[in-house]
Amino acid sequence: MSKDVIVTQNISKTYGKPPLQVFALRETNLHIKQGDYIAIIGPSGSGKSTLMNLLGCLDKPTSGKIFIDGSDVSTLNENELARIRREKIGFIFQKYNLIPTLNALENIELSMGFAGVDSQTRTTKAKQLLEMVELSKRLTHKPSEMSGGEQQRVAIARSLANNPSIILADEPTGNVDSKSGENIMNILEEVNRKGETIIVVTHNMAIAQRAKRVLRIQDGEVREEHV
Amino acid sequence: MFRDHVKLAIKNLRHRMSRSLLTLLGIAIGIMAIISLMALGEGMQQAITGELSSLSDVIIVSTGGNMFSSFGGGGSTSTGEYFTQRDIAGIERLQGIKEVSTQLSGSGLAEYNGKTTVLSLTGMEVSVMKLQYASQNLEAGGFLNEGEQNKIMIGYSIAHDTFDADISVGGRIKINGEKFFVSGIFGKQGMGGVSSDSMVLMSSRDFKKLTGQSNISSIYLRVNNVNDAESIATTIQNAINENHGKKDFATATTMTSILKTVQNIIGILQLVLVGIASIALVVASIGIMNTMLTSVMERTREIGIMKAIGATTQDIMSIFIIEGVLMSGVGGIIGIILGVFGSQALTLILGSFMSMGGGSFQLVPIITITSVVLAVAVSLIVGVLSSLYPAWRAARMSPIEAVRYE
Repeated sequence: MSKDVIVTQNISKTYGKPPLQVFALRETNLHIKQGDYIAIIGPSGSGKSTLMNLLGCLDKPTSGKIFIDGSDVSTLNENELARIRREKIGFIFQKYNLIPTLNALENIELSMGFAGVDSQTRTTKAKQLLEMVELSKRLTHKPSEMSGGEQQRVAIARSLANNPSIILADEPTGNVDSKSGENIMNILEEVNRKGETIIVVTHNMAIAQRAKRVLRIQDGEVREEHV
Repeated sequence: MFRDHVKLAIKNLRHRMSRSLLTLLGIAIGIMAIISLMALGEGMQQAITGELSSLSDVIIVSTGGNMFSSFGGGGSTSTGEYFTQRDIAGIERLQGIKEVSTQLSGSGLAEYNGKTTVLSLTGMEVSVMKLQYASQNLEAGGFLNEGEQNKIMIGYSIAHDTFDADISVGGRIKINGEKFFVSGIFGKQGMGGVSSDSMVLMSSRDFKKLTGQSNISSIYLRVNNVNDAESIATTIQNAINENHGKKDFATATTMTSILKTVQNIIGILQLVLVGIASIALVVASIGIMNTMLTSVMERTREIGIMKAIGATTQDIMSIFIIEGVLMSGVGGIIGIILGVFGSQALTLILGSFMSMGGGSFQLVPIITITSVVLAVAVSLIVGVLSSLYPAWRAARMSPIEAVRYE
C-alpha cells in the first residue's frame, strides 16, 4: 500500500455570504496516493478549477482540511503556501504559462531558482529535463519561438524541476493539436510510471480514460467513477 | 536568489527597452539638474571663499555704518569724514596687530588731451588694492604692481566720459603736473551709491608725494592671530567712535564675518537651486511609479505564474523593486555624467551674464564627491520608493486571479 500524498477532509469552497452563498465545492473527501494517475472531469463551472486551485495550494478552502504529504496546508500563510507549491507541486496549465522573456532553459531554471537551487545544478537539471521531453535543440528558444506542443513540453519539464510529489495538469492538451496532445500525454504517463502522482483536469473523455482513476465533479460535488 | 532577481529584472527592462529608457531619462535629467546646480553653487562658494579666506586676518575700518560700503564697491566714502592720525595711532598701539594701512582720499587737477578737470584721487597700498577690488572686473590692463611709481588705475567713466578722448591702457594723464600712466581700467559699474567708475587709484606713496595730504577714509589692518580678529575689530570700533564722540562714526568689519555672510547667502541660494532641481526628480519618480504600475498590470499573468511555481511575496517584491532601482540607478549615473557637462554649460551661460554685470572672478563648477554620492543615493532611494507601491501591488496579487487573467 503506498502512502497518501493528498488527503482532503470535508473541504468546501464557498463564495459570498449566506443566504446568497454559492458552493463551488461541497464537503469533498479525497485520498490520493503516491503514484496515482487521476483524471478530473466535469462540465464547465462544475468546480474543477476550484478543486485544482485547492489541491495546488493556490487557494485555501473555506472549511475543511487539506493534507499534502501529511502536513495540513489549509492553515498556512501565503509564503508557506508558496513553499509547498515550490517543493511539492508541479503545475501544467492549458496555456503553457511560460515566462515570455525567458528562454526554455531559463523558464525551467526559474522555479529551481525560487527554491534556492544553485545555478550550476539548475542548468544541468534543466538540460536533463529538456532532453527528457525531447527539446534538447530548443534550449535557448523563447516561448514565442516555439510551437504550442513544444511550449507545453517545456512546461512539463518545468513542473518536474523541483521533484514535486504531485503534478497538476489543467487541460494540458487543450491548446495543442492531437498529435502533440498524444505526445504530451505519453510523457505524462511516462512520468507517472516512474512513480509521480499525476492529476489531470480535462474535458476530453479519451484522455480521462487513460487515467487510473476518474473523478467526476458536478455542481461542486465529487464522485468517483469506476472505469 | 538575489542575482536571479537582478537577471530577471534586467530581462524585463530590456524587453520594454524604449519605455525603460524614457523613464530612466527622466531620472537622468533630474539628477543632472541637481548635480550641475550643486557644482555651480560649490564653484561659487569656493571662488568667493577662496578669494576671501586668504584675507581672514584682515580688518577693514571704514567711516559710516554700512559694512559693505567700502568693501568691493570701492571708492572714497561719501560721508566726507576722515580718520585722524589719533585713530591710526590708537590702532597701532593695540596688541596683536601685524600691519596697518590706510586708504587716502583727496583731489587733484588732471589734464588729458588738452582738457583739464578736477578728479578725486584715492591712494592705497598696492597689496590692499588687489584685495579690495578683487571682485571687480577690469575692462583692460591690470592692477598696479608693488613698487611701481606713477602708475594709476582709472574707472570706466574717467576712461570714456570725462575727457574728450577715450583713455586706454598705457595712456598718459597729468595730475597736478605730474605724469601718470594708466595701467588698468575698471569695467563699467553703473548705478549704485559707491562706484569705481569715476575713481583714480594710485599707490599711497604716489598719493602722498603728489598731494601732501593724507585724508584717511578707510583703514586696513592685519592681525597676527585670526582668532583675535573679531575682538580686535570691536575694540577698534569702540575706540574710534569714542575718539570722534559718535556712536556710529566707524565700522570695523572682519573678513571672517563677511565670509560668513557671503557663505550663508550662497548656501541659501544653493539650497533653493537644489530644491528647484528636486522637482524634476519628483516628476521623474512619478514616472518610474507610472511605468512600474503599467508593467505590473501587463505582467499580471506572469506574476501569477511565478507565484504558482513557488515565488514568495518577497521574491515578487524584490524583482519589481530591483527593476525600479536599476532604472533610477542607471538614470542617476547617466545624470551625473550629463551633470558634469551641464554644469560646464551653465557656467558658460552664467559667466557671460556675469561679465555683463561686472564680476571678475572666474566661476569654475566644482563637482564634489559628496554631490556625486548624494546623487547616487538619492536616485537609489527614489528607485526604491517609487517602485515600492507597484511592487506591493504585484506581490499582493492572488495567483489564481493572476493566472486566469487574459
